[in-house]
Amino acid sequence: MLAKLRSTDTSRYTIFLILGVVFTIASVLSENFLSADNLTNVLRQVAVITIMAYGVMMLIIGGMIDLSSGAVMALAGVVSVIVYKDTGGSLVLAILAGIVVGVVANLVNAFFVATLNTPSFIVTLGMMLIARGAVLEITQGQTVLQLGDFVKLGQSSWGWLPLPTLFLAIITVIVWYLMTQTRYGRSVYAIGGNQEAARAAGIAVNRIKYKAFALNGVLVGFAGVLFMSRVNAGLPNAGVGYELQAITAPIVGGTSFSGGVGTTAGTLVGAIIIGVLGNIMNLTGVGSYIQQIVMGIIIVVAVAYDVFSKRGKRSKQILKPTEKELTDPIDGEEDSLSQRHDGPHKEVP
Amino acid sequence: MNFRNKLAGASLAVVAALTFSACSSGGTDPAATDTAGGASGDATYRVAYIARAQVDSFAAWLANEITAEAENYPDITLDVFDGQADDEIQNTMIENAIANKYDAIIVQANNGVAQTPYIEQSVAANIVTITTNPRVPDIAGASSVDASPYDQGAVVAQLALEQVPQDAKVVVLNGPGGNFHSTERRNAWQAEFFDKRPDVEIVAEDVANWNKDEALAKMEDWTLAYPQIDAIISMNDNMAAGALEAVKGDDKFAGILAYAVDGTPEAVLLIKEGLMTATTLQNAAELAQLNLKTVHDLLTGIETEVNVDIGNPLITSDNVDEYVKLYTDSGQIN
Repeated sequence: MLAKLRSTDTSRYTIFLILGVVFTIASVLSENFLSADNLTNVLRQVAVITIMAYGVMMLIIGGMIDLSSGAVMALAGVVSVIVYKDTGGSLVLAILAGIVVGVVANLVNAFFVATLNTPSFIVTLGMMLIARGAVLEITQGQTVLQLGDFVKLGQSSWGWLPLPTLFLAIITVIVWYLMTQTRYGRSVYAIGGNQEAARAAGIAVNRIKYKAFALNGVLVGFAGVLFMSRVNAGLPNAGVGYELQAITAPIVGGTSFSGGVGTTAGTLVGAIIIGVLGNIMNLTGVGSYIQQIVMGIIIVVAVAYDVFSKRGKRSKQILKPTEKELTDPIDGEEDSLSQRHDGPHKEVP
Repeated sequence: MNFRNKLAGASLAVVAALTFSACSSGGTDPAATDTAGGASGDATYRVAYIARAQVDSFAAWLANEITAEAENYPDITLDVFDGQADDEIQNTMIENAIANKYDAIIVQANNGVAQTPYIEQSVAANIVTITTNPRVPDIAGASSVDASPYDQGAVVAQLALEQVPQDAKVVVLNGPGGNFHSTERRNAWQAEFFDKRPDVEIVAEDVANWNKDEALAKMEDWTLAYPQIDAIISMNDNMAAGALEAVKGDDKFAGILAYAVDGTPEAVLLIKEGLMTATTLQNAAELAQLNLKTVHDLLTGIETEVNVDIGNPLITSDNVDEYVKLYTDSGQIN
């Protein structure tokens, strides 16, 4: 049993341990932290960022990135609000409009990244400027007001559960399923791990990239709708810096910049950790300047840990194959692809 | 290098030369985001307006009003530039405007200290130079048109003196650190309210960067940390609106007071609904009218230096209908 424990990769559970430590410290620092109202608050506050983070997670696992999610979120949200008002209050059309905007923007990204082989960093940086300019042009820099019942999406509850949190829960399950139970998910990991090997194994790499961007667009678009309904305004300057938060959450949760590594649960936990830190700092009166320093430290530590842990695993694998590797035969393309990954890539079911 | 490559290189060089000569042959600066005013071919004066950041709703409103007001001056051609809330970009734009020999430059400084050397260069180049919203002080030869942020804050703070209950607990929301308008409004609140009401306790104070969503999140947490909050004191309407969203529908904060500055359409609606207590109007239309009149007077020699402030009308439930009409007529609210 000890041998089995030793051979188990425990790094995937580290993030949960960190979450536990953060919760413990927060509950000591503030008597209000563990109250039902506060925990509900935190889950409501992290909903938009986490939904965006799932899209970015998929892209990072697939070896790409999205710097435009904040700006596209704002554009999608504002368009959604405008459609809602112009259609006399059709929530369905408004949500669809937001999602369509998100998807279209991301398909443009996908064209340049997948078809023209342009680095996603540059493409999405450009899209960030385009989307921001577009939303400012549409609104002439002014806030769209008088949203009426549009706010119900972001401000209502289903019983005790805030709707944003309910949406987050549903989307979490969907994303988890996509990444762990479908060929699409396995393909994303494979591409992120080794794109050429994935291609040689018969994976339609470009098509998967398009799908990843499209799904990111759906998530970012919906996040925009949720954001505007939560703040009760169509804010053209919304989401500035949100792309950084959306990237930070999966990285903190164990997604690797090198691709091929990451989990939905880890991203969720990463987002919650960041949300809890912001929450406890607000509860204890820590100013926003210090909060920025803390967040910066978290990003640096998370990425450094990611790099360090990968190096350790690579050395360990070269020097000492595990018992499983010695006894299990290699069969099937997924197993052969998984041999090339630097670390664990399977989702925690 | 073979002949084909030489030919391609030479062709590119010719194209480049033609392109550069076309760009430098006159006309508006390609970096201009907007151009207004002046009958085509008849404009006498070229004016550059360098906005702080058109992602800022008030700055965007002001830029729009200045653009519209310029239409009333046939002898002025106005080009609007977006400083993108970045000192480096704004300083570069001032330099570019000087190099492009504009007759006048109006600067809405992102950071007065950072822009001062460049504004001084404009004055030194004998360009009519105006700073607006905020006024950048102590620049010899420059004019200014502003709404005093101290007075804006003071007007609301003086009202709060009478309205905030004894031993009240309040939260304060500030704009970005180092922002002149935020700092001066906060100074006004300190001098006109907090120094005169030592019984009032600030239970929480933080920067929300003028943003509604940041203020919303902070207020959501503060309402849990501090069960008694009697008033929201905000340096702008956006943040006050965000804080009010956090307590909307919560009976514990049903009578919460909320004070802010700007007089935005959203604030006017909130006052009309009885959710917000008071704000001070920072009228972009009036600022724009004064800026264009000032630049025209300076360019035509009627004036040599102008330093002027617009008024700071207080908006409360007593007079909110007047401003509802103002914004309805301008199409900003329905």
